[in-house]
Amino acid sequence: MTLVLEAAVLGILTGGVYALMASGLTLIFGVMRIINVGQGALVILGAYLSFVLFRTWHVDPFLSLIVTMPVMFALGVVLQLIFIRPLTTDREALSVLVTYAIALGIEGILGYIFSTNYVQLRAWYETASFAIVDFHITYVYVFGFLLCLAILGALFLMLYRTTFGAAIRATMLNRTAAQLIGIDVDRVAALAFGIGMATAAAGGVVFGITNAFNPGSHYDLISRLLTIIVLGGLGSLRGAVIAALIMLVTEDITAVVVSPVWASFAFFVILVAVLIVRPQGLFGLRVRDRI
Amino acid sequence: MAALLELEGVTAGYGGGDILHELTLTVGEGGITCIVGPNGAGKSTVLRVVSGLLRPRLGSVRFRGASIVGQSPRAILRRGIVQVPQERSLFSTMSVWENVRMGAYTVHDRALVARRLHEVCETFPIIRERRHEPAASLSGGQQKIVEFARALMLDPALVVLDEPSMGLDPKTRTVVFDTIRALNQAGRTILLVEQNARSGLGLASHGVVLESGRIRLEGPGLALLDNPEIGRLYLGATG
Repeated sequence: MTLVLEAAVLGILTGGVYALMASGLTLIFGVMRIINVGQGALVILGAYLSFVLFRTWHVDPFLSLIVTMPVMFALGVVLQLIFIRPLTTDREALSVLVTYAIALGIEGILGYIFSTNYVQLRAWYETASFAIVDFHITYVYVFGFLLCLAILGALFLMLYRTTFGAAIRATMLNRTAAQLIGIDVDRVAALAFGIGMATAAAGGVVFGITNAFNPGSHYDLISRLLTIIVLGGLGSLRGAVIAALIMLVTEDITAVVVSPVWASFAFFVILVAVLIVRPQGLFGLRVRDRI
Repeated sequence: MAALLELEGVTAGYGGGDILHELTLTVGEGGITCIVGPNGAGKSTVLRVVSGLLRPRLGSVRFRGASIVGQSPRAILRRGIVQVPQERSLFSTMSVWENVRMGAYTVHDRALVARRLHEVCETFPIIRERRHEPAASLSGGQQKIVEFARALMLDPALVVLDEPSMGLDPKTRTVVFDTIRALNQAGRTILLVEQNARSGLGLASHGVVLESGRIRLEGPGLALLDNPEIGRLYLGATG
């Protein structure tokens, strides 16, 4: 029983990190109707930026976010202007190719600079742990979870308590109507892409402390992130958070109770079952609701 | 009636093809101009050109004498042209109140926004009655009224309505047309595109019949309704 409880707690803590990484992906889809398959590579890029600051100036990985999040935000705005904005027709399909090209470009550059050897971010809280009842929790999972809570909380506050957030939500719900009430949807799209990349930077730090990574680590990551936003409902931030928690808790408990081999399978059973009942995902809007 | 909006020699379309061919159209201030015509005539394209969603390939569009060609929808909105699109355009998961407030997105004077909200609620009591409910929970007709209310938040000089009766039952359609008439009587200039020629032209001070991107007939709305050609072409099918 303790093992199951421990797995559930760990699932929730790591689920928060995945929720943060997926939140950027779902936000970008909601605003721009593009599937950013480069989000995994951007998470890895964020991890490498923190790695450089750590290796060069011994900056604590979490503190490095003060630098890496604004840098990634700016890079996101530039990438959106150069690669996404010119896609005026067949945007959803072309965006997959364009963002995949961005991912390959990032992987190639990182491979050239850092080689394909695995690296990992280091900090005292990477291995240090504390005891709760009968099990131990490593500090990094708690810090990572708290960081994700803070960033997701800020994201929700921005979306639901500010005029700019209302503009983002309006653009997500009806792009033409948003234009007709004076929202500069191109500006909203550029800033949303930037925000998505800033969350990737934050997710990258926690991912980089808890996992060894190399430039090719994004393939596994993006498949998991896409699965999360499909379960949660494309474009739903709340859905991404809940789906990430379902994924990680299910996998961790299955790994303990049944076998690690069946961990991913158990999650996919849930995914398929939900999609049969609700093809739009847990919190996604049906297409006819958008019209 | 002085001209508020003038389109002259406008040619516009999507991709390589043109929908409008050297279209010349004047919207008089204080009136209701109604464009009718069959599907594919280019009615909605005219409105997309006016609101800046589509840039014409040739020709000029002047509002109060100043060119607005090439301006963004936001800039055109600021000049006082507000469009209510054909399809349901409320932000479905936002509340009725939030939707109406979003109409004043470009207004930064909070006192002004509060005053306009008050005025809009006086005109359309349903806004206050259903303020907390998500927009998607309203009926089609109620949603159209909220869209009108949202458009009025900018106190526009010209309200552009794209097929406001589309998808509504006859009773609700009557309510919507009565509302359009009331808006006009309150001093708003209306540019209306309508599939239902009898209702649209019956309301209009000036009617325009569009066919294949060109004006086929124009004149006072009621006079057009009496035109045998119009009766034969449209009213038999729509009346």
